[in-house]
Amino acid sequence: MIALWRERLRIPLMLSPALAVILVLFMSGLVLGMMQSVGYLPIIGRYEVTLDAYRKIFSREDFYRSLSLTVWIGFASTVLSTILAIICAMTLRQTFRGKRWVTFIFQLNIPIPHIVGAIGILFLFSQSGFLARLAYVAHIINEPSDFPALIYDRYAIGIILEYLWKTTCFTGVIVLAVLQSIGEDYEDLARTLGASRWQSFRYVVLPLIMPGILSSSILVFAFTFGAFEIPYLLGQRYPSALPVLAFRNYTDVDLNARPDAMAMSVFIAVVITVLIFIYMKITRTYLRE
Amino acid sequence: MTQVNLLQLSKAYSSADTYAVHNLTLEIASGQITALLGPSGCGKTTTLKMIAGLLRPTQGDITFDGQSVLGIPAERRGAVMVFQNYLLFPYMSVGENVGFGLKMRGVDQQTIRRKVAEILDLVKLSGFEDRRPKQLSGGQQQRVALARALIVEPKVLLLDEPLSNLDAHLRDEMRELILNIQRQLRITTIFVTHDQEEAVVLADKIALMFDGELQQFDRPNAFYKRPISVRAARFFGGVNFVDGVKRGERVETPLGIFHVNRQEIPDGPVVITIRPENLKLGEEGENAIQGRIRSHVYLGTHARFKVEAGQWHLEVVAEASSVEQFHDGEILSLKFPRENIWLVPTEK
Ligand SMILES: Nc1ncnc2c1ncn2[C@@H]1O[C@H](COP(=O)(O)OP(=O)(O)O)[C@@H](O)[C@H]1O
Ligand SMILES: [Mg+2]
Repeated sequence: MIALWRERLRIPLMLSPALAVILVLFMSGLVLGMMQSVGYLPIIGRYEVTLDAYRKIFSREDFYRSLSLTVWIGFASTVLSTILAIICAMTLRQTFRGKRWVTFIFQLNIPIPHIVGAIGILFLFSQSGFLARLAYVAHIINEPSDFPALIYDRYAIGIILEYLWKTTCFTGVIVLAVLQSIGEDYEDLARTLGASRWQSFRYVVLPLIMPGILSSSILVFAFTFGAFEIPYLLGQRYPSALPVLAFRNYTDVDLNARPDAMAMSVFIAVVITVLIFIYMKITRTYLRE
Repeated sequence: MTQVNLLQLSKAYSSADTYAVHNLTLEIASGQITALLGPSGCGKTTTLKMIAGLLRPTQGDITFDGQSVLGIPAERRGAVMVFQNYLLFPYMSVGENVGFGLKMRGVDQQTIRRKVAEILDLVKLSGFEDRRPKQLSGGQQQRVALARALIVEPKVLLLDEPLSNLDAHLRDEMRELILNIQRQLRITTIFVTHDQEEAVVLADKIALMFDGELQQFDRPNAFYKRPISVRAARFFGGVNFVDGVKRGERVETPLGIFHVNRQEIPDGPVVITIRPENLKLGEEGENAIQGRIRSHVYLGTHARFKVEAGQWHLEVVAEASSVEQFHDGEILSLKFPRENIWLVPTEK
């Protein structure tokens, strides 16, 4: 009996140091954030617990503007990168010369930090950047500043470009793995049954990779929804993405803005948690198939 | 009814590669069942995929009723393939799976529903429309896969190892079903197998392939009576091979001289082969030699003896009662009836 329990607890026990670190760091941050979001701030002598901060952020116009911008960034990056990823994966799946190199370069993106991507985007797309100069030298535009504003712009194009660069590879690698596990027999079969190339993609390949696409899309959306650094570096000042707004509120000289910042952060965390639950549900149903 | 001809068909997967299929010429009669038989990796699936239009031949031609089909893409060629592992679309119901080919052709829903019901009836799965593939047994999945192929009324039906994933009893059932349906619809059918028994019970004609090349293309019984080589004979359960030198109707061997019927094979080194059931234990006369019984197994309906003669080990299948008559270690005569001896070339 005891031996059995020891066996069962072996892996959790072995993992416990790591789990402890995660729990202490993560949970204490979360608890602290939640406490501050309900107005418990002993530093400035506030002890009573209220939901005022939540009530307040939901009546702030800039909150809604930031929220819709964040949803837009997440939605556009997710949809575009998923479509690009499917195209890339379908291409990389075929046999061609130099396939190994192309696949390697494609995957190389994944370990590169986002911050490097942001610098790359700045270098390429800003109005003093590489493309602007190129267009100027080629006499396509008269002044480098005539180059369309892709960074710090209202449609967050710079941010979306950076996310595309990174998440296309992420989703692409997942889709590629799914495609490889499915093999080509289903498509071959569909072809002999009379499906054209497009039909066999539409009615066979797409449904088969859909669980993989859905789950990676949710991860991408959850990431872009909560990410701070890229909108901070490449985004316009107002309205800014929600995590950036929360950060600005948090670092505001007025400590009374802190509960707002924390309420927003908790809101972001809740949205992401819900998304992760959906993700887990999808992957679990898929694994059972 | 479509006659399929393969003409000098070859396939190499990459330019540096050896041929997966080499110089394959076959005339597949209209409305019959033909088996492509051979060990794993001999190029059977490759051949099937070339006929289906899924692989481009490196050389050679494929014709349906005399017309080359190489320019016709898979979806319009009319050769439907049923894969070994059924490959039912997991996200579709049985009905949707079966109706897939018609949907791709833009047939209206009502017609699809009617035809799906008809064809499910044919494979004895009436009323299974709304089931999901994973709710079905292996045999049922196989029948759905067959129905999905038949519904598009193919010119040529291609079956890749149709029975090998099934249990023994399901296999008989499935074999009956395939034969019945084929008789009824008269579709030219080509199926692939590595199991000679499966080929023999199903096929009108068998194409035996080794290493991408055609060995022998014949009716099933020919592979027992007149195998073309030692290897072909072995593949069909041949075990008795004695080396000798042929001169006319005599073959000189270290075991003595054998008298044989006239055979086309040129004089010179040959191998004598004879089926275990044709060797006569304890019989004297022409072509009788001396041998010693090494061991035997009793199999109820018959018995199998291992007999040692000179450097050769021969196997004899005899009546069940012979186990009372003959004993291990006994030396006795063993007769090779002249009409049952078949000569093949010596192996290189
Ligand atoms: N896609 C492929 N690429 C390269 N070689 C292949 C491919 N498919 C099959 N082959 C090779 O071709 C030969 C014949 O294969 P296959 O037709 O599948 O044999 P079988 O169906 O008789 O087992 C084998 O040697 C196999 O390794
Ligand atoms: Mg095969």
